[in-house]
Amino acid sequence: MEGLRVVDFTWVMAGPYCTRFLGDFGAEVIKIQSEEIGRAEPVHGFNSFWNRNKLSVTINMSTTTGREVCKRLIKISDVVVDNFSARVLRQWGLDWESTKSLHSDLIMVSMAGMGHSGPMRDYVSFGPTLHAMAGVTALSTFPGHGPLGFGYSYADHVGGLTGAMAVLQALNYRYRTGKGQFIDVAQLEGMSALLSTAPLECTINGKPPKPMGNRNQNPAAAPHGIYRCKGDDRWVAIAVFSDGEWASFCRAIGAPEWTKKPELATSAGRNNHEDELDRLVEEWTGQHAAEEVMHLLQNAGVRAGVVQNAEDIVENDPQLLARSMWVHAEHPELGKCYFDGTPLKFSETPQRLRRAVPELGQDNDYIFGELLGMSQKEIGQLADEGVLR
Amino acid sequence: MTVEMDNSRALDGTRVLDLCDEKGVYCAKLLAEMGADVVKVERPGGDETRAIGPFVHDVPDPERSLFFMHYNTSKRGITLDIEKPEGREILLRLIGKADVLVETFRPGYLAGLGLDYGALRELNPRLIMVSITDFGQTGPYRDYLSSDLIACALGGMISVCGDADTPPIRPYLNQAYHTASHFATIGTLMALYYRNFSGEGQYLDISLEDGIAAILEHLGIYYFYHGTVAKRQGTLHWSRAFKVFETKNGYALMSFRDRWDDMVAWLDSEGMAHDLADPRYRELSYRLDNLSHIIEVVAAFARTKTTEEIVEMGQLLRMPYGKVRDVAELVDDEHLIDRGFWVPVAHPELGATFKYPGAPFKAHGSPWHLRHRAPLIGEHNPEVYEGELGLTKEELSTLRERGVI
Repeated sequence: MEGLRVVDFTWVMAGPYCTRFLGDFGAEVIKIQSEEIGRAEPVHGFNSFWNRNKLSVTINMSTTTGREVCKRLIKISDVVVDNFSARVLRQWGLDWESTKSLHSDLIMVSMAGMGHSGPMRDYVSFGPTLHAMAGVTALSTFPGHGPLGFGYSYADHVGGLTGAMAVLQALNYRYRTGKGQFIDVAQLEGMSALLSTAPLECTINGKPPKPMGNRNQNPAAAPHGIYRCKGDDRWVAIAVFSDGEWASFCRAIGAPEWTKKPELATSAGRNNHEDELDRLVEEWTGQHAAEEVMHLLQNAGVRAGVVQNAEDIVENDPQLLARSMWVHAEHPELGKCYFDGTPLKFSETPQRLRRAVPELGQDNDYIFGELLGMSQKEIGQLADEGVLR
Repeated sequence: MTVEMDNSRALDGTRVLDLCDEKGVYCAKLLAEMGADVVKVERPGGDETRAIGPFVHDVPDPERSLFFMHYNTSKRGITLDIEKPEGREILLRLIGKADVLVETFRPGYLAGLGLDYGALRELNPRLIMVSITDFGQTGPYRDYLSSDLIACALGGMISVCGDADTPPIRPYLNQAYHTASHFATIGTLMALYYRNFSGEGQYLDISLEDGIAAILEHLGIYYFYHGTVAKRQGTLHWSRAFKVFETKNGYALMSFRDRWDDMVAWLDSEGMAHDLADPRYRELSYRLDNLSHIIEVVAAFARTKTTEEIVEMGQLLRMPYGKVRDVAELVDDEHLIDRGFWVPVAHPELGATFKYPGAPFKAHGSPWHLRHRAPLIGEHNPEVYEGELGLTKEELSTLRERGVI
């Protein structure tokens, strides 16, 4: 993505997660914030993860001149990304209608929670709001239990991933046709596209799915669930999809008598007696450490995995370590700061870690002086007027 | 060729071969709906995923799998046994003309058939090959087996979903497959863009576990920067700013980070604010220290109101409240209908048209396009084998007899 310049108005998580992809693979991503906003989002963990490989410039967006400076920057950039609600860019005179004429092939991607059109477009939403509205919260629980849902904002990641797809397909389109465009990414739609067969179960069969905890009906599998292991709050996931896998499972755990019960011999039987089966499996797993269960079963060709927590995924998982999932860079304030690598393992264009999260306004001189060609005098004047902060 | 060549799609003219199971079908669907010509290669008799239900009107049949129907819209379908020498020859011919190959075979399988990236690159240097596997092509777990549940567990997601007094839970299914497919799609788009300048393809290695570990929001961050291991806390968001509350007629997602004064005034107007009007609560740190009490007060309030009342007032006060909805309500959602999210898809073989979920984003220049239903088994064999590869009807007949197609 080298040679591409992105004007980045994003904030919190979904937006920065999107622009991060571009920065990770070579684009020049210029994060614009007024100093006031920037100081409220301090340089620490979150900022460090979502904003590595980006440049930072401070521009006072509440001044007309500040917005003019933005327009000058947009004029020499390829892509503009934001995740505000529709009103904000419009108020600043930087929405698509106002900016499309700056540039013959500008690409603008806006990632509002509810999108830029529709009766609920002015709704305020964060990740959990979208999970609830998209039906995921209600479905993510045990039968008979109140909703549980995600413990974090998965929807924000989905928004970022969808936004990145939108930008990249627009870049491919532009290469072929020379045309830019506006893309309206409604994070609610991004989430609603990930409901698997649930919508069709409603629209075709009139039978909405019900929550099923950790079980799996389609395809049917048993045992399939999360089982308690030895130790404090340690669990293992086990998934058996076929008679062959069941035979391997029984052998691996030493073929205790209970595995020979006739009702467990077929997959239909195992599904019909799932409560009993889960209880028996957990009696076994409860006597072993989760790691022991996982490797014992995997070595016998059975799908199993430790329910890993934060410490596990960072310190104890040899696979994630081998895949360079956690990387670090030097930062003047944070010192050695860590963040996630990338799942995109390319053979020719690997991710390049060029820099940690920028300090606020770190690249002001480069942006104003070099990119926009302002003289020291002009910069000084704008600074005096409070425009460049 | 009967594929629509409409110039207003981002990936027009891009040929994709889909040799994917659950792990990658969504990636190929995304590429198809951004305009690529995606040919799904199934084994003779139909792909294994056609056995995944539910089924149309509960009639189990390989042409009625809702799973297959959902994840394979907009693709053409051919049958081919790539383990037979003639099958492999045909596949190589198809790969020679393709831009992208997406596959989900276990590491080493394609190499065993002489179809590893090194070999394919010789044949077609512009090919972009994308492999989506359980753990990736390298590493100590390379030959381990996974599934959506296992990947979500190992990746870290499950450890923070559920409550302190319930087991950990996997949120609504297939997110590991969706996540890997998202990353694969993004990578493919990048590789296609890069190829415009380099003239060359490349190889992309995607793992289910990596994908999950990359979408955990606070987990890694809290560990690295605060030294804490995030725990399950039900519907209370890790930020402690959002929670689901039971209402008179269901559940509502409410927040108590922003607009504190407005929220307290609202509760107060109904005489249910208790001591929350105490100015000490204005301090965020005080609220965090007394969170359980705040939750008790809000819970008592929520139980006296309907979800609709709560969400309406919350949104009026500019708070990110939302109704905890069932999927059935989503399908009738006015906002989504207005935006054209739901798309009618014709199934002439069933004599019906069904409503499907559509575009995850609205591109005004190169619009998303769900072109048609998923293919029937071998539906495009004539078109592809005769029309594009120039095989005769007799040759096809022989191949069919030999079980190659």
